[in-house]
Amino acid sequence: MDFYYGLAQTVGIHTLLGLSAYIVLLTGQVTMAQAAFFAIGAYAAGMLTVLAGWPIVPALGAGALLGAATAGAVGFPALRVKGLMLVVATLAFGEGVRLFFFNFDYQVAKGEIRVGPLGGEGFRQIRYFQENGWSTGEVMLFVWVFVILAMAVLWWFDRSRYGAVLRAVGEDELAAQSVGVNLTAVKVSAMAVGGAVAGVGGGLYAHYTTHIEHANFNVLLATFAIAYPIVGGLKNVFGTLVAVIFVQAILIEGLRFLGDWRNLLFGALIVAAMNLRPQGFLGGRRA
Amino acid sequence: MLDFFQAVSDGLLFGATYALIGIGFTLVFGVMHKLNLAYAAASIGAAYAGLLILQLGAGAPPWAVFLCAFLGGGVIGWLVYLTCFHFIPLSHQLAPLMSTVGMLLLIDEIIVHVTAGMPQNYPAMFDDVMLRAGGFTLRGDLLLVAGVSVLCMIGLLALLYRTRLGLATRAVSQQPVAAQLCGIRVARINALTFIITGLLGGIAGALIGASVGALSPLLTAPLTVKGLIVTVIGGLGSIPGAIVAGLLVGAFENVFQQFRGVTERDLYVMLLLFAFLVFRPGGLFAPKS
Amino acid sequence: MLELKGLSRHFGGVKAVDGLDLSVREGEIVGLIGPNGSGKSTTVNVIAGLFPATSGEIRFQGEDLRSLATHKRLQLGIARTFQNIRLFGQLSVWQNLWVAQNAPVDHARRGFFARWLGGQSGVRAEIAGLLEFSGLAHKQDELAANLAFGEQRRLELARALAAKPKLLLLDEPAAGMNSEEVGQLRGRILKLRAQGITILLIEHVMELVMGVTDRIAVLNFGQKIAEGTPAEIQADPLVRKAYLGGA
Repeated sequence: MDFYYGLAQTVGIHTLLGLSAYIVLLTGQVTMAQAAFFAIGAYAAGMLTVLAGWPIVPALGAGALLGAATAGAVGFPALRVKGLMLVVATLAFGEGVRLFFFNFDYQVAKGEIRVGPLGGEGFRQIRYFQENGWSTGEVMLFVWVFVILAMAVLWWFDRSRYGAVLRAVGEDELAAQSVGVNLTAVKVSAMAVGGAVAGVGGGLYAHYTTHIEHANFNVLLATFAIAYPIVGGLKNVFGTLVAVIFVQAILIEGLRFLGDWRNLLFGALIVAAMNLRPQGFLGGRRA
Repeated sequence: MLDFFQAVSDGLLFGATYALIGIGFTLVFGVMHKLNLAYAAASIGAAYAGLLILQLGAGAPPWAVFLCAFLGGGVIGWLVYLTCFHFIPLSHQLAPLMSTVGMLLLIDEIIVHVTAGMPQNYPAMFDDVMLRAGGFTLRGDLLLVAGVSVLCMIGLLALLYRTRLGLATRAVSQQPVAAQLCGIRVARINALTFIITGLLGGIAGALIGASVGALSPLLTAPLTVKGLIVTVIGGLGSIPGAIVAGLLVGAFENVFQQFRGVTERDLYVMLLLFAFLVFRPGGLFAPKS
Repeated sequence: MLELKGLSRHFGGVKAVDGLDLSVREGEIVGLIGPNGSGKSTTVNVIAGLFPATSGEIRFQGEDLRSLATHKRLQLGIARTFQNIRLFGQLSVWQNLWVAQNAPVDHARRGFFARWLGGQSGVRAEIAGLLEFSGLAHKQDELAANLAFGEQRRLELARALAAKPKLLLLDEPAAGMNSEEVGQLRGRILKLRAQGITILLIEHVMELVMGVTDRIAVLNFGQKIAEGTPAEIQADPLVRKAYLGGA
């Protein structure tokens, strides 16, 4: 049973990662920076529970806020970078954040041992759940409370005028401006919301794996982040969820029997999915 | 001071390979207005393909390996075109991009599988030749790398500006619909663009392997990032831009590696990119089309 | 209401608009005509804020527009339609109108929360009114990309109206329309004037221009060569030579 709880946790956390990219993709900004905001949330929440003794929920909240603030800050220069160049700029930003954490040391003595992030070795002993006696099942439910919350909020946005405006901007910025939409406000706010969701996901990730390091937040993770909403389709939040389940549960776990060949299939399946259904599983905006 | 110039010159020579990779990214973007994220991986893959010829006869000379990599690159380039751009309607922006990511992962995994993850030695040419001038050393193998790269660039520019194929390619990059109405088979031009950039990439991959001395699948991610940075700094769609930017990044990177070490080196390349994005977001040369 | 003084817009060596003086008084319908390339669309684009003016003044209700961003001009009360329709194809007709409700009047009436995160119920009546006016009520949930050409043109106009503009810039709204549709458009434009909206109409379709405008300005090579009532313009030999077709 623990195995399935673990799988459900992974699906949940990756869904948060995917959702953080979903809202930004709606505005037409292709972002490879979500893994960076995820990382910031992870380190921040981890440091708050381990080094400052905060309870988990405020720590996650702080991670979300920090993620949102960083994303908002990134959102402004991102406005100046057009189209596919944003992919490169955000990719470079993501790598920059990863390199930052590679060099980041902040250790504090706790009793006889030192805890905290230690550069290339990463941040070990993020044991809030273990120290407070949470079972795997309880952690899983906790993660999914946040996933459902995020999905509900984004679903609500989608059905409100904000959602329609996001999609209008994503489709035709010039027309949107001409009908009075403030592009800066819309694009930066979407980035900030995405940053908040990624921050929560990262915080949960840190506590669930108990050990994080810079290499976890690499280009591959950034790619997963946008892969989920693209493969799932931008029609609504469920597309992202379906894509995460497909990739994590079916591909990675379900094809375990294929052993090493599993990874080969992964790339091939993405290629196949994009050729067979370019608009994504659930469809929606032309991906 | 001499160290600085040495680092710059070595960096420039190696930067010629970055220029080739940058040209590959920028040419596809210029013609199809799409990013082929699999390009660097395909180039490394082609370099590996070059090694296949050694399977046939252990005594194969290095230039045969390079030739094989060159041709392999063309084949892989065509395959990437087929799987990512031929069938997906081009009005979709993200689907082809995601598909190239899938190809990137696929090529990486194939390499890991076939080589069991072990780095493979790569033949070098003229690696024992050293030209000295004053306190200055020019490595023979790096000179070859730069020389071959320059030849490729000249060849490409001649193709684009002196042949009908090049004319058609430039027409498609500026006005695909009008080009089609003039009888140009756009799909064929797109495929040829991929084959040509693939050939270029194969050479680039082989040259990188030759100057590093070994190939490893770990090369693909940093090369992808660096190639994209070169493309952006040079200006998306501009070939002269990619050339200059490639040399610039090569030199910059090597200088910082010399003086600040390998771990910090990449951070400085990022800063260079961000400086350009802030002060000159269009890149060195504004795109032609 | 709108004053252009010595307005110029150069693209490198090309003087698309060259020293244009034009006034549009409140409640008027002014036509802007001229051969292709005479600078009509460029003028609209400069007024709307898509390109900055190279020199000259643009004043709207006394206020200098030149430093204002496009979306801010909309909030001042200037709306425009596009010559090649730029609808949000992946959004429904209803959503296209909803997105465009950015008038300051709306901002004052409903709080931030209601305007952005509220649902559709608050604005149902208003949007229904716009749909009624454009004859699109039966297609309100249809994706804009799936509409027929004439319907798309009507949506384009309705969307400009959603922002409750004081000045409406219409860029060749009759292009591609048949006679009956032009007649319907004429009726709609007159209704808008009756509602108090001032209109600057760029058009090639003479039937519409002559039939609906109070005054016409004629451009050629970026400069105004004539201005007057429709009758005066039709009789003007300079205009006939440049545009209407020989003496």
